[in-house]
Amino acid sequence: MDDLKLIAKEIRKTIVNLAHNSKGPHIGSALSCVDVLTTLYFNVMRLDPWDKRDIFILSKAHAAMALYSVLFARGILGERVLEGYYKNDGTLPAHLDRFTAKGIEVSAGSLGHGFNIGLGMAFGFKKSGVDQKVYVLIGDGESQEGSVWEGALFGSKLGLNNFAVVMDYNNLQGYGRAREICSFEPIKLKWEAFGWHAIEIDGHDICAIREAFGEDSSGKPKIIIAHTTKGKGVSFMEDQLTWHYYVVTDEHKKKALEELR
Amino acid sequence: MRNTFINTIINACKIRGDIFIISGDAGLGVFDEFKILYPDRFLNLGVAEQNMTSFSAGLSMAGFKVYLYNIVTFLLYRCYEQVRNDICYQVLPVTLVGIGSGITYAPQGMTHYSVEDIGLAQTLPNLTVISPIDPVEAELAAEYSLNAKEPVYIRLAKRGEPAIHSRKDFDITVPQVVREGSDIAILFHGSISNDVMDAYNKLSKENISPMLVSVPVIQPLNKECLFAVLKGMKYVVFVEEHFENTGLGSILMRFYCECKPSWKIKTMGIPYRFIHEIKDTVNMRRLFGISSEGIVKVVKDMLEV
Repeated sequence: MDDLKLIAKEIRKTIVNLAHNSKGPHIGSALSCVDVLTTLYFNVMRLDPWDKRDIFILSKAHAAMALYSVLFARGILGERVLEGYYKNDGTLPAHLDRFTAKGIEVSAGSLGHGFNIGLGMAFGFKKSGVDQKVYVLIGDGESQEGSVWEGALFGSKLGLNNFAVVMDYNNLQGYGRAREICSFEPIKLKWEAFGWHAIEIDGHDICAIREAFGEDSSGKPKIIIAHTTKGKGVSFMEDQLTWHYYVVTDEHKKKALEELR
Repeated sequence: MRNTFINTIINACKIRGDIFIISGDAGLGVFDEFKILYPDRFLNLGVAEQNMTSFSAGLSMAGFKVYLYNIVTFLLYRCYEQVRNDICYQVLPVTLVGIGSGITYAPQGMTHYSVEDIGLAQTLPNLTVISPIDPVEAELAAEYSLNAKEPVYIRLAKRGEPAIHSRKDFDITVPQVVREGSDIAILFHGSISNDVMDAYNKLSKENISPMLVSVPVIQPLNKECLFAVLKGMKYVVFVEEHFENTGLGSILMRFYCECKPSWKIKTMGIPYRFIHEIKDTVNMRRLFGISSEGIVKVVKDMLEV
């Protein structure tokens, strides 16, 4: 587990550098899901052989920097590709385009798409007897999309034991807190009422994340509600609304990397 | 056309194990045979069009040849962004089978008319759009979609359309001369075909013999072949059951301006406004001037006879 913590720290550094180089937004959103993605890519998912790999879909694709950095750390995405993030004539866009690089499974950016694509994919794998699992990360803000609830309502009847969705519940979306913007809670009960096996965990506790993925869900599809902190790992970004959009300056970068040493 | 289309897909299932049909709670009775023969290859995803569309994209990515069936408005409009991002942007070979094209469902009301779908489809790169005129074209459209590596949208009306083609060994991507004629050509696509044939028969009785040209694949339009077919014509009348400002007619006008052919053109369609009149399809077409009488009138006006 300590190894994974170290890896997660390295990934956070990569994200800080990407955000600084690109002068783009969404660093807070990327930092909040690093521990979940690290656990998935370094512990939970089967990536070898590549053509039979488990699939991860970043449905909250504005956190693309997290995915790019994890894929880089895992050796799936090369340094040169990473360096072209968010640049003129570059390699990687701010939101996901599956034709840009290996490991980008689904093009996404508009919220409430990746979750439903994942459902269809998991259903397809199950139908054809393919032993591949599908993991999806959605946001709490994203969970206000009607499409998510259309999928939730339908998904539970499919008996998908090869599908798990994680909600990155940092309770800070673009312009406020999910809990204040709408009647978000009780979110676990809502998913359970839709027929899902719901688990609530600390989304930065790698042991808890690993256990949640391993937990038997009795044939039901699984939702892991991961309580997280936006901007996790960089004190002045943590739980700050502004870091959904703020740009990382030289000074921010210096301070952030010092904290992540 | 609908039944021919579905039967072609069912036949393909005999030799292909990857075909999957998804319905958005539409098509009562249409899939009865399919569901008996292939119960594991059909799913009704209910009244949830966003999920239906994204789910189809995911199923396609898992290796299935997906047919997504719904009324056009609930296939392209309600879930436009899912069609755009999940199917077209990702270039997935999902076939969108839309029924109730144009004002087929009159007098169900404006919510159920698809008079702007070609306009929407024009905004979707990678999407092939096919609007068959008869069961033969519907069958060829189905065959095209079975082999397609890209998303396809098939625009169907309901059923009971007349047989117009006598042969089916032609390339559906190329505009087809369905009746030979001289001086004036009538171009058309989709279920307005019965009014076009009526107009043709009426004109024939008055010794006017227009050439009839069907344009089954609207997008991408084979402009070169179309203009080659029309070479030597003096007049071209184009008619479609779609808003006149965003349908194939508007695309033709753009090409007309670019290519400056020698013939004169007149496009006919549904006026660009919401439809509040309560009439069945036959009377609604008459109101909008796209019935056989309307077509005859435009042809005669152009020929000044």
